[in-house]
Amino acid sequence: MTVLPDLLAGLEFSTLPQQLVNGILLGAIYALIALGYTMVYGVLKLINFAHGEVFMLGAYTALFTSWSFGFTQAGSRQDSSPGILIAMLIVSMTVCGFVGVLIERFAYRPMRSQPRIASLITAIGISLLLQYGGQLFLPSSPPPSISDKVNPFKGNIEIPLKPADSALLAQAEQLKAKVTSTKAAYDEQLKSEKDSFNLSPVGKGLRTASQDAERDYRNAIDKANKDALVITLPQGQVIMLVTTVVLMIILTWLVMKTTAGRAMRAASLDFDAASLMGINVNTVIAFTFFIGSALAGAGAMMNASFLGGTKIDTFFGMLPGVKAFVAAVLGGIGNIPGAVLGGILMGLAETMVIWAGYGNYKDAIAFIVLIVVLLVKPGGLLGSNKVEKV
Amino acid sequence: MNIQFSWKHGLIALAVAAAIGCNGGDSTATTPTVENKGTEATPAAAGRKAPTAEGNKVEGDVIKVGIVGSLTGDQKPWGEDSVEGAKMAVEELNAAGGINGKKVELITGDSTSKAEGAKTAAEKLISDGVIGIIGEVASGHTIQIAKSAFDKGVPVVAIGATKTDLTQEGTHVSRVCYIDDFQGPVMAKFAYEELGLRKVALMTDNKQPYSQYLSKTFGDKFKALGGTIVKEAFYESGQTQFSGQITELKAETPDGLFLSGYFTEVGPIAQQVRQAGLKDVKLMGGDGWDSPQLLTSGGDAILGSFFCNHYNNKEDRPAVKTFLDAYKKGHAGKEPGTTMAALGYDATKLMLEALKKAKSLDSKSLIEAINETENFAGVSGTITLKGFNGNPPKRALVVEVRPQSEGFQVFRKAYEADEIK
Repeated sequence: MTVLPDLLAGLEFSTLPQQLVNGILLGAIYALIALGYTMVYGVLKLINFAHGEVFMLGAYTALFTSWSFGFTQAGSRQDSSPGILIAMLIVSMTVCGFVGVLIERFAYRPMRSQPRIASLITAIGISLLLQYGGQLFLPSSPPPSISDKVNPFKGNIEIPLKPADSALLAQAEQLKAKVTSTKAAYDEQLKSEKDSFNLSPVGKGLRTASQDAERDYRNAIDKANKDALVITLPQGQVIMLVTTVVLMIILTWLVMKTTAGRAMRAASLDFDAASLMGINVNTVIAFTFFIGSALAGAGAMMNASFLGGTKIDTFFGMLPGVKAFVAAVLGGIGNIPGAVLGGILMGLAETMVIWAGYGNYKDAIAFIVLIVVLLVKPGGLLGSNKVEKV
Repeated sequence: MNIQFSWKHGLIALAVAAAIGCNGGDSTATTPTVENKGTEATPAAAGRKAPTAEGNKVEGDVIKVGIVGSLTGDQKPWGEDSVEGAKMAVEELNAAGGINGKKVELITGDSTSKAEGAKTAAEKLISDGVIGIIGEVASGHTIQIAKSAFDKGVPVVAIGATKTDLTQEGTHVSRVCYIDDFQGPVMAKFAYEELGLRKVALMTDNKQPYSQYLSKTFGDKFKALGGTIVKEAFYESGQTQFSGQITELKAETPDGLFLSGYFTEVGPIAQQVRQAGLKDVKLMGGDGWDSPQLLTSGGDAILGSFFCNHYNNKEDRPAVKTFLDAYKKGHAGKEPGTTMAALGYDATKLMLEALKKAKSLDSKSLIEAINETENFAGVSGTITLKGFNGNPPKRALVVEVRPQSEGFQVFRKAYEADEIK
């Protein structure tokens, strides 16, 4: 019983709200990818292991699109606009959608009459083919990244939960005058110094005074802010979350309200019966792959453009793909709301592990979750508990 | 191939087990392991083992020398530059008549930016009959080369591997760069005295022995000077999202952040640090930052940060000018992008000079001759190995990251080898 207090001792509860928000932002991307896994599984009972690689190709498509707009490595273009981001998003989604359809047409359809394990092995084969074959024609060494100039939304949205101590803050402000005066004295001295890193004794004294004053001021501000709680949301990530939600609403509408969606649901309920009822199952499957892959493309584009400096190589989709797969299993594979729930939970689990001080294990948590789910509730949180005999 | 690969295998095993509904319960999922995890660096012991193997001999009219570099993968900028520098040194020697009338042939091996790749490349070079190996830039890779070379009795001259205990692998290992026991304290001193920082947080790449040890040496010196290390956060090479770690650091309100990893992750970290609202925190690092790619991946966020380096293209020394003129001639007027061209040149030239003085043209005599090196005039400074266990005392430069138009790294302050401690 002494273990628990020990575990809790290292926790910093003031960062918890921020970490929860980080987790949801991260989870939204997992949810987008997980949707692709779950939709394909729902219709075909196939785990599309190449899905992570579709995600990778989406990131590359976004990279090439950004280059075509002039945001190259040399950085010739400096200004961006939401229009460019939307163009990148649409191109990535379209390209990924068609890649998904192609993979289904040439890799999975010929195997459909074979035992399901054959498709599964093919899926792994396609995944490896894209990872290693991609290195032949995609720039991956050294890994490129989308220019940070693409993202015009660099600011933060700050949500104050608890204000800073105003009395302490006022005290801190009184120190500001000294900061300004010592800084001015040092700047004045700098004009007569040759090298700001090899100062004369007088210069060194003034620099120390200026640094001390600034430090006192900052410490006072930090002290006043100690109990304040502010959640910082990078604008880019908020846009990511909003886009994700919009895409999910569109998906719900597609699946629940349209004829194609009804056909998709029918095929997932009973594949053979659906075809007997005159549903063209090949079209339905192609449609499913298109939608699932397009969502992965959207996730990839946003991941690569909004998280500054993200490196892109042919293994880009591996870890997110694996985690999203676990998310899909966690939520109940084949179940669309389940994939979203699973994705968010995976993102939260990961940041909670970092929050608890076990950052080294943040990638391992996915597999721990997977094992626990398979042991305790193999059907997933929202899935049926029917044992699937494949 | 790498760590994720083994996960995928494990995952596939699990997924197959789940999908087939097999009740065996003995699925062979592999647990994720961190490869190449550095053990705690041992303090430099005095005695170094001498390799007992015979090593390679020169046969025929060609002297084969090998170089291992990261010609593909993350660290390609370093690998390419170091090989270019080595080629220059060999060409100069051959143009001047070679050694005893024999020409030198440089054989390159690609480490693929991975420790296993470095090991394989070194073994291949040794079986090809090289008399000595030059390389690598990364410490984690060089350790593997040193281990393989020890078994075969072949000398290794490391280019940019700064991990302090590297040369404890044996008398066959030496280097032309400073060590982390020097680099870390230099940055700590600079941070404390010049930047006036008192509360610094560390971010360490847990997959790189280099990063782990550099964080340690920086932290020890910074604390000895009177500063506080408020927190150390960990990440792994290849990671792209750092918001969790940054939130934890932010809670400690540091005034400086020491990023001891390689430029590949430092760029994204810098951007995400600024995005998280840490606008005024000074960013610092070691020579692992040295690549112009830092500017593309770090954007505006990295400008005004400081790191420690071996030499600078703008340095006002005749040796630097001669080297740069020669380099530009062979590279369409372009200056080398990283320090590793100069260090690769120095490492190769040091080995070739030692070869001239060696009693006979074999690995064993070459090891002796390298360890006898005194006052070798390199581009990056004077190098003496005799009496220093393969670790030459060298100066370190602190440079500031500026836009490419200002030359990427601008010299700020130099620290001589005896200024620290």
